[in-house]
Parts: sequence; structure tokens; C-alpha cells
Amino acid sequence: MSSIPWPFPKLGIKPALTNAAHRRVRQWARKRQGIDSTVTRLRPGRVYILPTGVGLVFGLMVFAMLMGSMNYNNNLSFVLTFILAGLGFVAMHQCQRNLVGLELSFAGVEPVFAGQAAQFRVAITNHSKNARHGIRLYTDDSISELQDLMPGESKVFVLAVMTDKRGRILLQRFGIRTLFPFELFRSWAWLHMNLSGLVYPHPADHAPPPPPTETAHGHRQHDARGEEDFAGLRKFHVGDSPRHVAWKAFARSGQLLSKQFSGADTSSQWFDFSAVPSDDVEQRLSILTSWIINADRTREDYGLRVPGAEFPPSHGETQRRQCLETLALFGLDENDG
Amino acid sequence: MAKARGTDGSLLESLPWTLFALMFSLAPHIQFLPWWITAAFIVCGVWRFSIEKRRRPIPSTWFRGFLALLSFLGVLATYSTVSGVGPGSALLAIMAALKLLETLKRRDQFVLLFISIFLVMSSLLREQHLWSLPYLLVAVFLIMTAWLRISSATGQKARRSFSTSGRLVMYAAPLAIAMWIFFPRIATPFWSVPMDTGTGTSGISDTMSPGDISSLSLSDAVAFRVEFKGDVPAPRDRYWRGLVLTVFNGRTWTGNDPFRGARVHEQVVNSGRPVDYTITLEPTRQPWVFALDIPWSWTLERTFMGRQQQLIRARPIDQRVAYEAVSYLDYRTDVDLTEFARSFYESVPRQSNQRTQELAIRMRNAAGSDTAFIEAVLMRFHEQEYYYTLEPPPLGSNSVDRFLFDTRQGFCEHYASAFAVMMRAAGIPARVVLGYQGGELNPMGGHLIVRQSDAHAWNEVWLEGVGWRRVDPTAAVAPERIEVGRGGSMFDGAGAAWGFDMPSALLHKVTLYWDAMNATWNEWVLGYGPENQDKFMEWLGMDDPDWRKMMLTMIAVVIGIVLLISLILSLRYRPPKRDRAAILYKKFVRKTGIEPETGETPATFAIRVDGESVIPVEAVDAITSTYLDVRYGPPNPQALQRLESEVRNL
Repeated sequence: MSSIPWPFPKLGIKPALTNAAHRRVRQWARKRQGIDSTVTRLRPGRVYILPTGVGLVFGLMVFAMLMGSMNYNNNLSFVLTFILAGLGFVAMHQCQRNLVGLELSFAGVEPVFAGQAAQFRVAITNHSKNARHGIRLYTDDSISELQDLMPGESKVFVLAVMTDKRGRILLQRFGIRTLFPFELFRSWAWLHMNLSGLVYPHPADHAPPPPPTETAHGHRQHDARGEEDFAGLRKFHVGDSPRHVAWKAFARSGQLLSKQFSGADTSSQWFDFSAVPSDDVEQRLSILTSWIINADRTREDYGLRVPGAEFPPSHGETQRRQCLETLALFGLDENDG
Repeated sequence: MAKARGTDGSLLESLPWTLFALMFSLAPHIQFLPWWITAAFIVCGVWRFSIEKRRRPIPSTWFRGFLALLSFLGVLATYSTVSGVGPGSALLAIMAALKLLETLKRRDQFVLLFISIFLVMSSLLREQHLWSLPYLLVAVFLIMTAWLRISSATGQKARRSFSTSGRLVMYAAPLAIAMWIFFPRIATPFWSVPMDTGTGTSGISDTMSPGDISSLSLSDAVAFRVEFKGDVPAPRDRYWRGLVLTVFNGRTWTGNDPFRGARVHEQVVNSGRPVDYTITLEPTRQPWVFALDIPWSWTLERTFMGRQQQLIRARPIDQRVAYEAVSYLDYRTDVDLTEFARSFYESVPRQSNQRTQELAIRMRNAAGSDTAFIEAVLMRFHEQEYYYTLEPPPLGSNSVDRFLFDTRQGFCEHYASAFAVMMRAAGIPARVVLGYQGGELNPMGGHLIVRQSDAHAWNEVWLEGVGWRRVDPTAAVAPERIEVGRGGSMFDGAGAAWGFDMPSALLHKVTLYWDAMNATWNEWVLGYGPENQDKFMEWLGMDDPDWRKMMLTMIAVVIGIVLLISLILSLRYRPPKRDRAAILYKKFVRKTGIEPETGETPATFAIRVDGESVIPVEAVDAITSTYLDVRYGPPNPQALQRLESEVRNL
């Protein structure tokens, strides 16, 4: 839960104390609910509700109005008081019902570089015949946009979670909450889907240039593209430069073919973990990351060699993903996260 | 460090609604507020809106502080106090206006809505009319809509907020009704707060100076309504006793001193049949309680009978009150009057109005007896040229002389004053009674309406062996004033002034109808106090109602309604029923013993089942294709039956 909303100032309770209390409550909820599957429908029993600051002020106001009405024996101000009190009761039930029955399903998270925010995407589906208003997801330090869900509608909510180091980022718990209708009550539910995302190493800011690498034949690389010597055609792969597509052949046969040049085949570079000019493992990984990004940007072929894994030179999305993933998880036990 | 004061237009969706709700809550106050507060409020509202529209910064703290100080001093200068409903609502309006100027965030507007609610509440404390209930319902509806606008996601349509708040108010209504009926009412307030809600509308004050005001206000406002248990007394018997003036200084009658006399009640001797009735008295902000001459018993709390048989309450009547009373039309009071009291009621300044006093002594000597003298004076008013008029010429000093001998025009006060002075001059104890006379019978409601324009003054003279006897000199001048009252003639006059007659009668009828509705409303809604509540509880079947029983009933009923609302909500928000085909297919999936993967279609699932399960391929294919037919094809009951049997036979 985030800060207590206005108009109450932060209560003067020691943060350590409230944090401990929060932790206890959460542990209790976690134990009670167990691990959620990545598609979870909210049952009524797991939607909690408490009044907000505005709600407490509202309650006090209604009480004051009741006292005033009794004092003046004024039947119309009794009406006003009781309508507001009734609205309070109704708002409480409406607020809880606004969450019950929603279906949350994990919709993936794209890998990011350390230091960027991982965007956990959660789709929320409203299966009921009534609109749900003012829904948002939240974690301890991030909050999604406020959105309405029309009947039958499904919307993606994004939780941006800051990352600081490579490896797997875990989102063990997040919450869904609503203040609808009048912000008098806040109802929320905790979800434990154990979501995880991949975090690539942070690319080194001032990476040294990649070492001049040997070609497969032992010659010094002269031109990464080697476009002089046409060597033949092969089937188009995703990631091939459009400049290499044999457009004439395409016009003739309707098949996408890539031109192959002899220089391109032979003059690929190897990024070798042991050859990186640094002593620090993390620094080496950062530099490798930065090299891979640059090579990928210029569509050069590159191979990666780290202790325990080797990827022959290639380029394209798969190569980039495999290499960066290897760097991200290098030296980490997959299981302990 | 100065806080950022820029606006970004983010309030444009909610601010107009907040302003509207505020304006609506302020509306009933406007007629009571000094004009500058309303003007300041409107200026601040428009100003703040244009700031938001053009994304300008809000005014600085210094400027706002200066405005706040100025307004506070303004309220203090206007009212010379800051407590009470009048200055209170003025301060609320000012606070709302100033708060507008410092509203930056969406949620700051909650304060404005809280102020709106208090404004509505204080308008109800000030006045309660028949239209007050619809007014407050609309106000709540608008305030809650604005509330939703503040807390809703950006871009939500106003129409949706409107329907949501309407729906929630509808849910809240039965709860409010239940609480309203069962919440125990108590008779005595906890504390007393000045209710200076402007000027009283009473046509009666506790002094009387005929000739000071040259015209009597003809307010049509209702003074009180009377419901008789039995027959309604004849018009000439409808004297509603209010206060009694005993001291004359030559110009002004004063001396309504209703100090509690130990044996006042014993001095009243009744005869004849009692008249049983209920009076619903409009607030007068004065302590006088009116009752039919002469009251014998009454149910209004903290009310006692004074020396001159007038009723007075310990607290001013600042709210509508209803009380039952019993009166006797035939009575005798103070048959024995002490020598001291006699001289008190005979005293009149010897130097003033000497012509009148001489005339009185002359006439008394000529008449021979007190009774004959009274007759002679009344005859004089009747036979000589005295006119009853509501717009008499002003009288100078020696007002009674001037009236009696020169102008000869006046209304009840002039005649009552002159008559009393003549009686006293002739040595007969006399006093002036102020109250109401007459009243119009409302055929729709069956009750009597007594208006401010029925205010009247008459006399009482004390006669040896008889006690105080009522004499109404106005009746001698204008008997129709007493016999029929003035109610009807006024409406005819209004019609005649516009040159037609018929619609005025119609108008009169509509007015009476409206009045009948008001009377019912007053009795059952506004007057729903401890007694009515007890009566209603007994009618509902609660024996011996007390606050504990009512409280428990209220809690039980409220819980019941809340559960019902919760049920309705859970039905409204329940997911649509899964169709039969899906249930059957699920059964089939369970029978295969294979868990479908996320995103797997029935077709691909069937391929997997064919490979991994012992179920015959034909059955799997048949079920899958039938299921797809039923689910995605046109409605087909036979296919559904087929699916049913296929799954069953598996």
C-alpha cells in the first residue's frame, strides 16, 4: 500500500514499526493464498478493504452532522445525514465488488538492460456485464496507470520495476487496487504469481573498441561486410540486410533470397570473454554487452565465447538474444535467482 | 521556498462539476447573504476556471491571505459575530471561494465538496419547506457526481459519472429511509446555538404604538395551522391569545411580563365544552405561544402560563413546533382582583390624551354603570364616523386624542388602544391582548390556516363579579373583520387588480391545496419527533417503544438492506454463465486426463490427445468438431444433444 492519502498527514508512527506490521500482514496473506497461477481470477475472499483518509473524514463529518441533526431535531438534515451514511455503506460494497471476479493474466515482460525499468505486463479481463472503474496495479515502488474496464473488455496494465543488476528480476508480489466509487474506501488484492524477467548486463559506457579479431582463415579482418566477392544466393533469413536481398530474383521467382559475399562469410569477429581488457567479471560482461549491441546495430556477424558457452558468428535477433541472455545469466545459478 | 503554482488543465474535467455543486448548495443562501459574498464567490469561481483553462498560475499565498483577512473582516462587519447559521453560512461561502483559489490538485476539490455538504446542511437548518427534500436529493446527487468526477480515470464520460452516482444514491435511499424512520428521536437538544436566521416573520411584537407605523404589513405568511379534534369554533370565537400588554405611557403599550404566578391556573374557571386541537406553529424566534382563548392545558414542553393567562416558553420558538392544547370558550378569570392590581390596570398618564380622558369620565357618568359605559363606547365607534383602514394617517403626540377626535381612521391597534385608555380613565381595569383572530378553513386539509395578516389586538376589561371579559372594539367598527376574517378578500383583491376575477378564485384554490400538502408534510415529515415516532412504532406493532428497541430495529433493518444491496451487486457483477457446450467440453478434457496448455486450441489439443491418450481417435475428433460447431456455429440444439451423448458415452 502506498502513502496514506490526503488529508491526513503521514501518521507519526515509526516507519520501521509500520513496515514490520505490513510485512506480517503480507506474509499472512501469502500463506493464506498460496502461489497464484499466471491466470488468476479474484475471489471475494481475497479482496481486502479499508477506509481511506478521505473516508475517515467523511465518516467524521457524517457523525458531526448526526449530532447536529439530533440537536436541532431537524428531520431534513436527518435525511441528508442518513443519505450520506447510506452512500458510505453502498460505496463500501461497491468498492469491493469492483475488483471481485476480475481475471489477471501475465502477459510477459521484455528483457531490459540493468538500470532500465522492466515492464511487467499484466492483462486484466472483465468477464462481467458491468464496467469496472478506476483499476490500477501497484508494487511497493511502482504504480500502473488508472484504467476503466468495460464489460467483456481486457486491458494490459504495465508495472515498471526498476532493475539494478543483471540476472533474473523477480516480481513475487504485486497488488491490484481501486478507490472507486468515492475514494472513501480502498479495496485491494495481493497476487503472488512469481513473475520473473531477464535483465541483461548494463552496457559499458566507455567500452574499448573490440579487439581486432582473426578471420576464420587466420587473416586479419579487412572488411566486415566484404561486399566485393559475390559468392551466391541463399534463402532470406530474418535479420538479413535489405541491401543484400536479391530483388531481381524476387521479382522473377517471388522468393526472397539474400546475396552472399565471400568476405561476409569469412570475416566475422569473435567476442571472447577472456580477451576483454578488464579484470572485473561484471565489467567484462558489460563491455561484451556493449560490443554485441554495437555489432547488432551495424548488422555485423559476431560470435561470442564465454567459459562454458560458445556461439558461432552470426547476426540477427536470435543471435543477439542468445548472447545477451548468456551474459545476463553468466555465473548465476538459474535456480536461486 | 515558494510552492509551484502553475496549473496544467488537469482539473478541467472535474472543476466545472465541483463549481456547479458548490453553486447549487449556495443557491438557497443567496437571499440571506450580503450581496458581496455571492459576488466574491462567483468571481472566484469564474476566475479559477479561466486560470485552469488558460493554464495560468494561481494567485500567490500573500494575495490569498490578504483576501482571506479582508473577507473575514467583511463578515465580522456585516454580522458583528461569527457564530450562528447566518454568519456561519457566510463564512462557509467565503471559505469555498478562497479554497477555490488555492485548489491545485484534483483531490483538493474534496474540501470544496465537504463545504458544499455543510452549505446544504445549514440551508436545511435555516428553512424547511416542501421543496427542501427534492432540493437536498438533487444536491446530494450533484455533489456525488462531482465527487466521482474527481476520483475517476481521466477521459471518463460525464454521462457515466452521472449514471453511477444516480445508481448509488438509489441504493442509499432505502438505507436512509430505514435509518430515518427508526433512528430514535430525542426531545431535548444537547446544547443551544443561536439561530439568528434573519428577521422573524411574526406580525406581532411585544410593544404597541398605534400611529407610529402608518401601514400594517399584510404578510400572507402562515403563522400557524390548527387541526381541531371536534367541531371548528365559529369565526367570532377564534381569538388566539398571544401576549397581554398592561402598561401605557401615553403613546406606547408595553408590559407583557408573564412572570409565573403561583395560582394563575386556579384563577381560571371553565364551563362549557372543551375544545381539543393541535397547533403547528411556524418559527417566530419569540417565546410567545398562541392558543385559543382561553387555554387550559397544552403539551409544549417548558411552557407556562403567565399572570395574564398568556402562554410563554422558556426558549424562543426557532423551529416549527406542534403542540396539542385544550381550551374553553366559556371561562371566568380573576374574579377577585386585589386593590393593588386594580390600580395597576387603571393607571394611565394623567397629562397625556386629556381630551379622551375627559370624554371617558363624561360618558361614564352619563352611562350610570360600567356595562352601560362599555356599550356606549362601542356604540360611539359603531355609529360615529370611524373607519377601519389598514393605512391610517400617522398620529402625533397624544395619539389617542388625535385618533379619537381628528383622524378617526385606524386598524385594530388604534381601537384597542383608544378603548383601553377610555376604560382606564373611567376607572375600569383594562388591558390589551395581542394575538390572532379568525383563520381560514382549508377544505382540502380540514385544518385552519392562521396567517400573519390575521394578527389582531383586542381588549379585556375587568368587571366586578365577572372577572376579565373580552371586548373587541374593532368588531364595533368593522364587524365583517371578525365575522368572516379577511382571508378570502385578499385573493379577490389580487385578481381584481389585474382586471379579472375567475383565476383569482382558482389561484386561491391552488394555494389552499398547496397549503394542505404543506400541513401534511409538516405533520408527518418535519414534525416526526419523539411522539410521532412512538405512535408510528406502535402502529408498526412495537409494544412500548423505547430508544433501545428502535436502535436495535434500525441496526437489524440496515443490515438486512445492506445484505440485499450486496446481493444485488454480486449478481450485477457475476460473470456470465458458462454455456452448456463449454461445460461438456471441460468434462471431456477431464476424462482425457491431459492438461491443456495455455493458448492451445481444441484442434491442437485433439491432436495431442490422439497421440497421448487411449481414447479412440474417432471419438476425440467427433467431440472436437461437434464442440466447435456448437460453440462457433449458428445455434444448433441437435448438435448440443449430440455433444452431450458423445461425452457421456466416452
